[in-house]
Amino acid sequence: MEFGLLSLIIFLPFFVAMGVLFFPFSAQMTRNIAFATSVIILFLAFKIYYEFELTGYLQLREYHLWMKSYGINYSLGIDGFSLIIMMLIATLIPCAYLMLWDGRTKGYWVSMLLIQTGISGTLFSQDLILFYFFWEAMLLPVFMIIGMFGTGNRVHSTIKITIYTILGSLFMFVCILYLGVQFYHEYGLWSFEMSDLMVISTISRTESLWLFFGFMLAFAIKIPLFPFHTWLLETYSNSPTGGVFLLSSIMAKLGVYAIVRFMMPLFPKLYVEFAPYMMWLGIFGLLYFGIAALMQINIKKMFAYSSASHLGFIVAGIFSLNTYGLTGAAYLIIAHAMATGGIFLLIGKMEYSIGIKAIPALGGIAKQAPLFTTFFAIMLLCIIGLPGTNGFVSEFLIILGTFKFHPTAGIVSAFTVLVAAIFMFWMFQRVILQKTSNDISDMVDLNFKEVLGMLPLAVMIISMGVYPDFFLYKIEPTIQHYLINILHIGVK
Amino acid sequence: MNSLIVFIILIPLLSASVLGLSYMYSIKIQKVPRVFFTAIAVSAPLASLLLGVFFFFKMQGETKVFYYRAYKWLSIDGRDIDMAFMLDALSLFMVLFITFVGWLIHIYASGYMRDDDGYGKFFFYFNLFLASMLLLILADGPLIMFIGWEGVGLCSYLLISFYFEDEGNLKAGNKAFIANRVGDFGFIVGMSILFFYAGTYGFDYVHLAQEIPKVPTDILSYAGIALFVGAMGKSAQIPLFVWLPDAMAGPTPVSALIHAATMVTAGVYMVARFHFLYDLVPHVGLYIAYVGAVSSLFAALIACWQKDIKKILAYSTMSQLGYMFIAVGLGAYSSGLFHVFTHAFFKALLFMGAGAIIIALHHEQDIFKMGGMRHKAPMLFFVMLIATLAICGIPPFAGFFSKDEILLQAFAKQEYLLWLFGVLTAVLTAYYMFRLFFIVFYGSHVNTERVLHPLHKSITYPLIVLAVGSIFVGFLGLPQVLGGDNLIGQWLHDFAQVKPLHVGHTTEFMLMGLNVLAACVGIFIAYKKFFTCDLSIEHTMRGWAADKFYVDELYEKIFIQPYKILSQFIGNVLDLKIIDAVVMNSSLGFIKVGRFVSRMQSANTNFYALMMIGGLSVLCTYFLIVLE
Repeated sequence: MEFGLLSLIIFLPFFVAMGVLFFPFSAQMTRNIAFATSVIILFLAFKIYYEFELTGYLQLREYHLWMKSYGINYSLGIDGFSLIIMMLIATLIPCAYLMLWDGRTKGYWVSMLLIQTGISGTLFSQDLILFYFFWEAMLLPVFMIIGMFGTGNRVHSTIKITIYTILGSLFMFVCILYLGVQFYHEYGLWSFEMSDLMVISTISRTESLWLFFGFMLAFAIKIPLFPFHTWLLETYSNSPTGGVFLLSSIMAKLGVYAIVRFMMPLFPKLYVEFAPYMMWLGIFGLLYFGIAALMQINIKKMFAYSSASHLGFIVAGIFSLNTYGLTGAAYLIIAHAMATGGIFLLIGKMEYSIGIKAIPALGGIAKQAPLFTTFFAIMLLCIIGLPGTNGFVSEFLIILGTFKFHPTAGIVSAFTVLVAAIFMFWMFQRVILQKTSNDISDMVDLNFKEVLGMLPLAVMIISMGVYPDFFLYKIEPTIQHYLINILHIGVK
Repeated sequence: MNSLIVFIILIPLLSASVLGLSYMYSIKIQKVPRVFFTAIAVSAPLASLLLGVFFFFKMQGETKVFYYRAYKWLSIDGRDIDMAFMLDALSLFMVLFITFVGWLIHIYASGYMRDDDGYGKFFFYFNLFLASMLLLILADGPLIMFIGWEGVGLCSYLLISFYFEDEGNLKAGNKAFIANRVGDFGFIVGMSILFFYAGTYGFDYVHLAQEIPKVPTDILSYAGIALFVGAMGKSAQIPLFVWLPDAMAGPTPVSALIHAATMVTAGVYMVARFHFLYDLVPHVGLYIAYVGAVSSLFAALIACWQKDIKKILAYSTMSQLGYMFIAVGLGAYSSGLFHVFTHAFFKALLFMGAGAIIIALHHEQDIFKMGGMRHKAPMLFFVMLIATLAICGIPPFAGFFSKDEILLQAFAKQEYLLWLFGVLTAVLTAYYMFRLFFIVFYGSHVNTERVLHPLHKSITYPLIVLAVGSIFVGFLGLPQVLGGDNLIGQWLHDFAQVKPLHVGHTTEFMLMGLNVLAACVGIFIAYKKFFTCDLSIEHTMRGWAADKFYVDELYEKIFIQPYKILSQFIGNVLDLKIIDAVVMNSSLGFIKVGRFVSRMQSANTNFYALMMIGGLSVLCTYFLIVLE
């Protein structure tokens, strides 16, 4: 069997990165090559998107034997859920490159390329060992970026996030191995293929509880869910722009993706049993982080909390066990990644220009940089869920989902419209609009390239809000598949 | 043909996009002449108005309701929500007066804002507002309506904080947006309830109206109240009214268009639009009526002690909105909407007149610093007199008919307490409006010599048109007892009273007389106190009403401060001192274990030998026992 498009998307950046490392290219050259690579991937992604059939099953399967004796294989595939996240990543990364254009070193660009490989691999893997491999692989370049290009106490942040996430992943790794062993005991051969592990029937309840929470820990740390979030604040405030961008808008979403993609099929009974607790945990996180965001001084910390608040909301959506919640969560993954990603890139630019992170010290940006302000405002409105942006569509669907689960949950989760608006508008007032006594004359407006980088995000935010059906129909069959074929039958 | 409905919304939206882009072009690349902005901005509401008129004539024919489905907005769980529009008598009624008054205010604003740097931006927001407002009105279901609903809220925020250099304006803008968001929270909850209990066959008004009778009453009550929370926010009723007085920080045309004539009446429109829901839960309706009544009296009381001309008018708006809610709460939708209609004329006129005075006096807003305007600006004197008479309910001016109809409804429904609230408010209204009028136009001021800033034609002409309107539009709702046909009531007959009123003509005349008397009492008191008011002495306003009953302070104490403290507590105590401390301490535990273990490798030969012997003896003992 040949290697297909998915493999190409995964490994193109990797080989480019390796190639670049061996040639004495300058940082600019590396950046241009990296940008070109990401654009090629965007085209490939578009091709996949258009050819994607409207079913809930895996498509574009690739299967190669890897470690035959242990049943570990190179197995890829894509369904509606991974499809939209793939599109998201493929769109976001070239935009980010345009925003990060100047003043980065070669190492930075190589790391960015490697990260794209790790992310795509995680997204397409159907073999759990392969998934684990990419899951860890995507972290390494992030550590590099934070450790080498971060600010403040960056080494401490790097160690903290490393140990934190590796702790989670190790639990997951043990669980994966345990599942493999169980499969071997039951069927007499080794396999780590998702579809195989789903049919294991010999696990006792106690065992599956351990496994469930082993997986959950890894994903909860990555998302992060309350109370595993404390790595987030320090990491976000000390990371360079690219690092925060990747962590917030892509990797955190992969945690949610993995919950749906792996935990739902592997443990359908427990998934349903613990859904109320997890949903309330998500709603609690939504309020907890949302309230905490208000009084933050450091703007990146404020957005770290804001991001965590929305991820809590997304988690509430995926555990609401109905079409509304799941669709809304999938849509919010996209909406939030675009808006938060965009905002972090803009904040990165602001920090790069004037070097201030403290909210009370900022201000007067609007006069100085109107284009910057316009894009900032669009992203902000998406985050607070203003109708006409995709943020609203997703928030409304999740509220419907939680409402359907239980009316009280729906009403409590509707507080998101209030909580987010409060801290966002107050921040906007102090950071962007209000005049300041500090010198911000270094703040320059977006240049042509940066506008080009922001424009696709802004256009997508609005068009996905104005015409959601056009974007949702690709994912609808997958969600039905998860709900009916996996969850419903799995519970029986 | 029906697709033309979309253009009513699309034209202002397109105009807004063009304005926004060309404003950006103008500040970044090359200056765009002002006349370009003016042309695009002012033509949009006119075009929408003409389309509205076109549909008005079409509606005289067979078809009474026009639908247009643009595309499928969302399809989920087997339910479709369409981006669809509905033009019926109610929406056309709203479209007509909003585009007409909106058009006049656009013209006025083109004069008012002419020297402003943000001219293009202003009209970008203005037309975006108009598009959102029209979307709100023409939507065929609550969800699409909500898009417009929030859109107008956003534009209101943007326009209140238009001069964003000043912190006060930004605070006012935030306050408006957040108070409205509290309302939106209610609206979303209400929509969720309706979606699951009545939206099985479609989430548009027609299907909802069919399904709603099957829903249990208590559920409907929750939905009705939740939706009304949205209306409280948007239409500034107790307890969510706090934003409206502060919203006057925006330029005066904004106050006229958004915070008087159009946006704030969206709540009334919403209740009327959901009449099929509120008809089934009269107790919720009664609650709405009482909220309206209390709000109207409360606001009127505060208005009597204010000094800022725009603040007085803002409280007066809130008070008049209260009247409208009395009407719609009692199920007299057409009466409430009639007042929305007349109010749009005279309140827009009052604001625009006030704006003209403010400009003429070089941005002075304190009424006690005005005075003597009667001779200096006779034109303003006449238009303001007309508007003031109209709001006070003096026949034959517009406000008389609509206010009278509302009070008549309350009386006929034997809600005498509501009626009493209404009459008391009418006295106060006449009092504070003529207080304003006498001070501004008759008061003697030391600074009578100052030169007025000249007013541009684009400012004065719309005033005249509105003044004519304020005199005559009331006749469109001339009640039968006065020999009229109540054209407005007939036009909105779907939303009118289901049961005819059982009030004799004598009673009706008596009530009318009483209303006029109430207004006259108010005017008389104002005349006694303020007709010869000496403005050279300092006038300070003290007391509960002057300080707005300390509601802002109360909210600050019970909502804002605790919220901030909670936020501090979570961020700096819970997260930092407790959760993170546990995490970091567990890592310290590892370090301690590591230190302990590393102490064993101390490079001390004696210690190693001891450990070896000890280990060997343990092993030997173990093997001995096992081998035994």
